[in-house]
Amino acid sequence: MRTGILRIIAGKELRDQIRSKRFRTLFAILLIIAVAGLIDGAFSYQESLENYNEMLVAASEGETDLSYNYYEGKPSVLEAFNRIGYLLSTVAAVLGIAMGFDLITAEKESKSLKILLSHPIYRDEVITGKALGGAGAIALAMAIVIVLAVAVLLIFGVVPSFEETVRVLIFGGLSFLMVFSFFILALFFSTAAKDSGSALVLTLVLFVTLSAVTMLVISGPAITFLIGDPPEPPGSSYSYSFSTGPNSITSVSSSVSGDSSQEFDQEEYQEKMEEYRQESNAYWERRMAITDTFTLLSPDQNYQRLAFAVTEPGLEAARQHQGENAPIDLMTEPRDGLSTFFGLLGGLSQRIIALFVFPAAFFGLAWVKFAREDIR
Amino acid sequence: MIRCEHLCKVYHGVPAVDDLCLEVPEGEVFGLLGPNGAGKSTTILMLTGLIEPTSGACYIDDLEVATHPIEVKKKIGYMPEDVGFYPTLTAEENLEYSAKLYGMGKERKERIKELLALVGLEGVTKEVGGFSKGMRQRLGIAKALINHPKAIILDEPTANLDPQGVADYRRIIRHVADQGTTVLVSSHILSEVSKVCTSAGILAHGKLVAHGTWDELARIGGDEKVVIHIETRTPMPDLQSPALVAAEFAENRHRARIVATVDIRDELADTLAEAGVAIRSLEAEHPDIEDVFLSYYHTTEEAA
Repeated sequence: MRTGILRIIAGKELRDQIRSKRFRTLFAILLIIAVAGLIDGAFSYQESLENYNEMLVAASEGETDLSYNYYEGKPSVLEAFNRIGYLLSTVAAVLGIAMGFDLITAEKESKSLKILLSHPIYRDEVITGKALGGAGAIALAMAIVIVLAVAVLLIFGVVPSFEETVRVLIFGGLSFLMVFSFFILALFFSTAAKDSGSALVLTLVLFVTLSAVTMLVISGPAITFLIGDPPEPPGSSYSYSFSTGPNSITSVSSSVSGDSSQEFDQEEYQEKMEEYRQESNAYWERRMAITDTFTLLSPDQNYQRLAFAVTEPGLEAARQHQGENAPIDLMTEPRDGLSTFFGLLGGLSQRIIALFVFPAAFFGLAWVKFAREDIR
Repeated sequence: MIRCEHLCKVYHGVPAVDDLCLEVPEGEVFGLLGPNGAGKSTTILMLTGLIEPTSGACYIDDLEVATHPIEVKKKIGYMPEDVGFYPTLTAEENLEYSAKLYGMGKERKERIKELLALVGLEGVTKEVGGFSKGMRQRLGIAKALINHPKAIILDEPTANLDPQGVADYRRIIRHVADQGTTVLVSSHILSEVSKVCTSAGILAHGKLVAHGTWDELARIGGDEKVVIHIETRTPMPDLQSPALVAAEFAENRHRARIVATVDIRDELADTLAEAGVAIRSLEAEHPDIEDVFLSYYHTTEEAA
């Protein structure tokens, strides 16, 4: 591949994207949603900050113990970004699809593909140039959203710290990857489908399927259907609850109600309880593994989970520690600093990898399909 | 300049181009004739490197297209039958993009201006999406010439042109040919090809059934047979000649249609004069070029 040709093709694609009414309309909607979400988030942040300050005052006066508020660390401006994360995952996915679904089919429909390929260029330069042009447009869109978001926060008098700035940038990078994933998915269908309409329908079908399947999987009944009910504690009534979203914390609660009419051998009971604990842990670990595996297939689920970790690292830390039998040492557990933050992201490395692998895999498929395209 | 050696292209077991051998010398304006589905466009797609042959090879300026697609594409200009451009760009912007892909430098500005004037699109500032088919075809010709090609390949170039457009197209082709550029024009419209091309090849069912100059094609296509019509004032006797193939008499032998392998009008006149038959008219029928070409197609169809 020659960089000069790539630059020419990517430059034209970038210009086309930015000039297209479709891109401008969706981007305008995205901006409005992002700004509205951030304004709401900024108000919420200020409220949280006031509560936190009140709590600090109360703690200093000995009225409350701060160490128990593991999940209630100092509020971060990133909480405001958490609000737009959910919105971005849908609107920006649509933006990515809208940008990519007709990249090749439109060339076929306007009959310009033959003319384009009659130039002294390789097909891989065409498809890569188109992908780079789209990536440039998405990067520009995301950069504008992030800059505007920071500007909104500054207007509200909220100045991000260095760590928060790094997290904002990572948030922007993750948002880019998510939109780019759907853009590349649409690009693949643009090479595979006969016309733009079919490409759009196929992309939306896969988008909805991925979202629906992952939602179905992470909802309880589907997994229960797959792996059965959780084990029941010996001689007890049992209840459990679980999350229905990627950002909720799975919780299991059990209660042992003593039956006065039934006498338990204390030793036997302890053994059974230990056995139950092991089975229960294994069950929930298996359940978690299935959920994580299925949701890895969905870029928006990966994005939401990672965006949650970036914007709410305290809650993410709690989430990563749940299921560990060892209690968290609230006094020694580091709660601030980039190293802790990157440690948290390390715990989500599979999702980060998945967010890179998804577009890479579909780009590979698009590349092969386009290279073997029969031009007639 | 353009050469095909046993070129074959098979789609799903059906040969679209079948053992095609063809040579177009440098500076020639060559017409590739044939009915729809004869394999003209497939041949052109292989010549332009857009598809690969199933077997055989084609060469442009002695470079094999399949193994040197980039070098070949630099040497040729191509206009497809269904020519299309980027609808949101102007003619100038489309040519600008094209010129950049050919690696042209700042000289492209002057070239674009010159070509837009040549095809009659200078001063047109609207986007190509608003162009008529004819305007797109004109732009297609400009695009085919942008890189100063050694050979241009035009697939059905007059398909969408109005009479003025056709006249302009002929003028452009002659202008290009005068500069020594080899031109290959594919068409199913014989009259169009015959007006600009110096030689032609006839393609039917993927096979080259004939090629040569127009005179050669007409002679071969007519099987070198001559039809002579005779009208006399008195009935004719039986006519004898070694070249005679058939003789049909009508109107009480006052009229005859003679088919011979050569023109035997003088011989017939002498025979009739000796028999004391007064001749009213004696004419040789020149075969219509359309009929000649149709006979090529029909012969191939019958063979198939």
